[in-house]
Amino acid sequence: MDVQEAVAEGTASVENGEVKRDGRKQFSMGAGDILEGKLIYDGSLHADGRVEGEVRVSGNIDVASGANVKALLEGANVTLKGTVEGQVTAHDKLTLGKNARLSGDIVVRRLQIDDGATLNGHVRMGDVEHQASGQ
Amino acid sequence: MSTKRPGSRPPTPIPAGNGSNGQRNSVVLGPRDRLVGQLYIEGNLRVSGTVDGELEATGDIEIAGGGKVSGAVTAYERLVVGSQASLIGGNVRVARLTVEDGATFTGKVTMGKPAIEPPKPPEPERQPLPAAVVVAEPVKPIEQKVAPVQRKVAPIRQKVAPVQQKGKRR
Repeated sequence: MDVQEAVAEGTASVENGEVKRDGRKQFSMGAGDILEGKLIYDGSLHADGRVEGEVRVSGNIDVASGANVKALLEGANVTLKGTVEGQVTAHDKLTLGKNARLSGDIVVRRLQIDDGATLNGHVRMGDVEHQASGQ
Repeated sequence: MSTKRPGSRPPTPIPAGNGSNGQRNSVVLGPRDRLVGQLYIEGNLRVSGTVDGELEATGDIEIAGGGKVSGAVTAYERLVVGSQASLIGGNVRVARLTVEDGATFTGKVTMGKPAIEPPKPPEPERQPLPAAVVVAEPVKPIEQKVAPVQRKVAPIRQKVAPVQQKGKRR
């Protein structure tokens, strides 16, 4: 996936360092960072702090335990440890950690929910089409 | 439909099934077992067979092995979907949820303990107390009599034996 559009309005400081992990770019946020808007990114995202809007990445998304996310999330593997409100699409696997709280519909190929996680929403499994990207 | 709602059917105060004290009733559907319809269990349920219908349990529900469930699932406590199991297409209402990697899981999930917790039977303290006060004049003996009554009332809801014993005494 190419980078088509990236709008990252950092009210605080958004660290967009070109951190590379496994040869891929990683967009890494800290606990005090805020991302509002739409991010389309060729790489992985480590989300912390506050995220609002829409995030589509070609790599993985992991949401830290203290993070507060109100956004549409789309990625290959999505791992949630914090609070997320919004639709989540995982082209491969979605993992809800034991402290994760997710309110929103899910489209995934594989799903793992750890004991202690909270989920409210529809779950659809199977091969993920790129239906989300058209919306 | 009316048989399924937690509100419409408060759990019986007497534990069903096995007589061992304090142990929860447990029902198992084996790999070759098949259920079509509705099932309500006061206790735990373990499914490794095939279920086409609605399941409700006051305890835990585990869909294990190659178990396949199509339909609504309500567990007042915990639902576990094993790595080779599948749960498809139903409304899922649970307090706690574990889905193991590899499981097939589709449907609408509603979590939150207050929404699911079975309503306690609206049995306020039985009130022979005012009557006893009226009948018996001395105060101190009454208090001594009253206190044991209250202590006996509570266990009655949980165990069968005390109920019968008390009936004999009366």
